[in-house]
Amino acid sequence: MSTPIFVTAASIAAQLHQAQHHARGLALTAKNARALAVRAGSKTVGFRAITQFIDELASDIIRQSQYINQLSEQVSQHAVALWRGNMADGRFDWVMAENSEHRASLAHSQRQCRLRSDELSERLRRGLRLLEQELDESEKHIRTANLIATSSKVEAASAGEFRGQLEVIAENINATANQIRAHLQQARQLLSQRQI
Amino acid sequence: MLATTIYEQGDHRWIMFGRDPDKAEGIIDTNQYLVISGEEAILLDPGGIELFAPMLSAVLKYVPADQIRYLFASHQDPDIISSLGLWDQALPNASLYSPWLWEGFIRHFGMERIRYCAIPDEGLNLTVGRIQLQFVPAHYLHSSGNFHVYDPKAKILMSGDVGAALEPGEPPLWVENMSQHSAHMKTFHQRWMPSNEAKDHWLRRVRQLDIDIMAPQHGRLFKQAHVDEFFNWFEQLSVGIALR
Ligand SMILES: [Fe+2]
Ligand SMILES: [Fe+2]
Repeated sequence: MSTPIFVTAASIAAQLHQAQHHARGLALTAKNARALAVRAGSKTVGFRAITQFIDELASDIIRQSQYINQLSEQVSQHAVALWRGNMADGRFDWVMAENSEHRASLAHSQRQCRLRSDELSERLRRGLRLLEQELDESEKHIRTANLIATSSKVEAASAGEFRGQLEVIAENINATANQIRAHLQQARQLLSQRQI
Repeated sequence: MLATTIYEQGDHRWIMFGRDPDKAEGIIDTNQYLVISGEEAILLDPGGIELFAPMLSAVLKYVPADQIRYLFASHQDPDIISSLGLWDQALPNASLYSPWLWEGFIRHFGMERIRYCAIPDEGLNLTVGRIQLQFVPAHYLHSSGNFHVYDPKAKILMSGDVGAALEPGEPPLWVENMSQHSAHMKTFHQRWMPSNEAKDHWLRRVRQLDIDIMAPQHGRLFKQAHVDEFFNWFEQLSVGIALR
């Protein structure tokens, strides 16, 4: 049995929720790194600049995840309504095939039900397209995260006696970026496997 | 779905639906009732979601969909009204009469088009075609907001879960022998009915009614002679005690 779209959408929302959680951790790491860089003074000017990027990246990811989350919730709701409409339609078909004297009186309701389903399908299609676009957009964040992780390692290397501490932070950034990437990729994969 | 006309006088009819041979195993058997008068009809305790398609098909053998103006749910149980989300698609112009107490709960079954008409605690009269039906309070029997339906013209009391029996196999439609039948009702009433006080209150009121048929939501129906026997049996039965 294929996974219903409302389950897929809810699973995507769950992935984005996780990504958001890690992004918050990233923002915290950025704050710690900045504090350290300020204390370390001139040797860590480069690192300090990077923390600014990390901070921005974290809030971008949080903002976008919230939006995608909201989108997937809408998609899930439309999908549930559509599923219910289709279930009613299926039952109406069954009734129509039975030999009930007044079955024709059901035709109007069935037509209405199908019209609503068509409209819901259209809204669902639009929602899914938007979701796809947003997730594509999130690719950009993954690339930025990779870049930041690499350059923080490079900057840490030239930070003299602060090298050790900054390397830990750089590793932390790298690990968190990997986790966010994994969740976003999982979300995209879920979306690509969907069935309507 | 088995359909039996239990009352017919001109264009005034009571039809009972139940004993669905295709019913999935493990689902309690239920009786649904359709009351027709002239061009209007009401469906009493329309049943669970599993029963929706056979019910709709059975009902359309008697009335066109647009004449089913009203639905009635005696209380909030799933075997009574979990089909609501599908009736909502089939009968967009219908009204559902149900206890005010359960409105916020019953809406969880899905209701976007059908109108909810809340029955106040003291009950309500509803005109259906050329007849009047009375929604008679039966609170705590077993649900804390609960109504039965009395049709003074047909002299039928639809008694919800009161008078219900859990009988194995395929029992006939009518009670034939009360002492045998009470064995199938005893545990049900002791466990599901929580209050002796509510029971006595109900008995005092329904004994004033002129009843030819008592029609519960599960099991066999009672003809006049057995109705009094049932009242006496119910009166002496202590309920809400099955755990003691
Ligand atoms: Fe019940
Ligand atoms: Fe019941």
